[in-house]
Amino acid sequence: MSAMSWVVWRQYRAQAAIAGALLAAFAALILVTGVQAASQWHSALTACTAAHSCGNLANSLFLGSHAVGFLVIMTLGVPVVLGMLLGAPLLAHEFETGTSQYALTQTVTRRSWLAAKTGWLLLAAAVIGAIVSVLVTWWSGPDNALQADAFKPGRFDIMGIVPVGYAVFAMALGITAGALLRRTLPAIGITLGGFIVVRIVIYFLVRPHFMSAVTSYFTISRGFTLAGSAWQLAAGFAGANGQPLNLPQATNGPVIGNAAGIGLPVSSLPAQCQTAGHGYLPAIASCAQAHGIRGYVTYQPAGRYWAFQGIETGIFVLLAAALVAVTFAVITRRDA
Amino acid sequence: MTWLVWRQYRVPGAIAVALLAALAAVILADGLQIASHWHSVLVACSGNSACLQQQGPLVNGVVSDLPYLDLIVPAVLGMLWGAPLVAHELETRTSDFAWAQSVTRTRWLAVKAGWLLLAGAACGAAIAALTTWWSGPINAQSATAFTPGQFDTQGIVAIGYAVFAMALGIAAGTVARRTLPAIAVVLGGFIGVRLVISDFLRQHYLTAVTTYYTVGGSFTPPGQAWVLAQGGVSPTGVVVRAGWGDLEPALPASCQRLLPALGSGKNSSLNPVFSCMQAHGWRGFVTYQPASRYWPFQGIETGIYVLLAAALLAVTYVVVRRRDA
Repeated sequence: MSAMSWVVWRQYRAQAAIAGALLAAFAALILVTGVQAASQWHSALTACTAAHSCGNLANSLFLGSHAVGFLVIMTLGVPVVLGMLLGAPLLAHEFETGTSQYALTQTVTRRSWLAAKTGWLLLAAAVIGAIVSVLVTWWSGPDNALQADAFKPGRFDIMGIVPVGYAVFAMALGITAGALLRRTLPAIGITLGGFIVVRIVIYFLVRPHFMSAVTSYFTISRGFTLAGSAWQLAAGFAGANGQPLNLPQATNGPVIGNAAGIGLPVSSLPAQCQTAGHGYLPAIASCAQAHGIRGYVTYQPAGRYWAFQGIETGIFVLLAAALVAVTFAVITRRDA
Repeated sequence: MTWLVWRQYRVPGAIAVALLAALAAVILADGLQIASHWHSVLVACSGNSACLQQQGPLVNGVVSDLPYLDLIVPAVLGMLWGAPLVAHELETRTSDFAWAQSVTRTRWLAVKAGWLLLAGAACGAAIAALTTWWSGPINAQSATAFTPGQFDTQGIVAIGYAVFAMALGIAAGTVARRTLPAIAVVLGGFIGVRLVISDFLRQHYLTAVTTYYTVGGSFTPPGQAWVLAQGGVSPTGVVVRAGWGDLEPALPASCQRLLPALGSGKNSSLNPVFSCMQAHGWRGFVTYQPASRYWPFQGIETGIYVLLAAALLAVTYVVVRRRDA
């Protein structure tokens, strides 16, 4: 072990022990409840296959417990906690207590001092993020099969490889904020705010456009069901020119068709269709079809799940790399 | 002393006010949109309740996650304001100076902690007021104000959470004498206490009401009630939860025989099974906390957190008094 790695170990062994203990407790909880949920899922699947009634299983079966389910959602916060408690103080605490004057005047160069500290901490963040994600992904397996929602925002963010990217980014953000501000508390505040803002911007504004979405059109009378765990972005009805129909926000009148829960009010159809067949709905539907009105669903197909995971992880790793570069530039140029 | 607190906290105070203003702007803009949407739905449906329930969710996108942000605000206040209150003074040794003045140590603590607790309570109240207003149409549409998650972001409980988190931070910082461990204690302690109280304690504040009805029928508690459990119960007390996932093994053999017909065609229903269950003395049940208990529950929950905060402050007071400067 190099001298610097030994220093890092001595500085962080208490934190490492605490993190290890918390991870072990979380793993025990997840394993116990996960095995229960999996056996519940298998017996329900066997029972409903025998009775040919698996169709409504998603509505009637609830897997796991509320408390553990809540804890699993809370793993969204694991990366930012790492960044706040381990990343932000990494440099800021040295500056605040003046130990940087000692650390930066040794035979070890600043560059290798910084490389060892940030390297080990980033690695720790990646490992913790990966362990939590593996546990959550395994635990969510039956639920993903049941609800087919692994691609949906919120679920996508706690499974697969993206938590590793988030953890590395949050740690780098904490380290950089500490290097620039030289004070721990403001750096913690910036890490928290910055992480939340970047995550929201990317998941809300950028992620839907990683790849151009697919739009499927379907006849009103047939309806349409997305295959597998696809991510639905929009749904509605379009006229013959392909433009989405402007539907009223609510209607008390009759409705035809169904695009992912959205009905097409008869009052939004061309006038001659509204009175077709003296109000007999199938006749109205075929009139609307004759006018070229179709349903549409815009979505990201289930097959793109891992491509999206890769793109999102790549973005956060690149952001982390940029932040680490800033930290190196600031530290190597600063007076001790 | 008040002047000193103002000088120490004017920058964090300004940042908090700016963040609150930004949050208020987002919630107001979105809330007005939701309210007008809801109003047009009400007009279009003109009192038809089936029509109201058919409408899709009123909120979409990123703003629907705002209540989750509310859940962490108290913890953030406790971590960034509460934990350093005493710990940072001890760490940087400014306590040597502060505690050697003509102002007594207890008065120093009382004024600092008092103003910070007041600020925390004000932040909690502002966010709770905004969220309560924003949730109005959603409460009206789906009657969920009493359910866990919604209950926690509306009404007065957020004030209790904020005061508790702040007191937890002050106490942890005083005992640990170091800011960072105190921050970790606030984070873990706040989440732990909130989980235990909301998942295990809250449903027992007042004895729940159980209403029985004929199996196969239905009963919905009126208004914003909090449903704790529902399903069927046998004369011997065997309970099957709604969803009927584990119905089969619980049934008498004569009723089980009616089950395999299920799902064989689209017209199959549980009705023959329900009639058989009825004949064997099964009843449907709903266990719930009635809507009228919403404010008593808000009061009890807030009271618990304020009491916890008071206990933590008492610990802080004792530790600060006895500690050498």
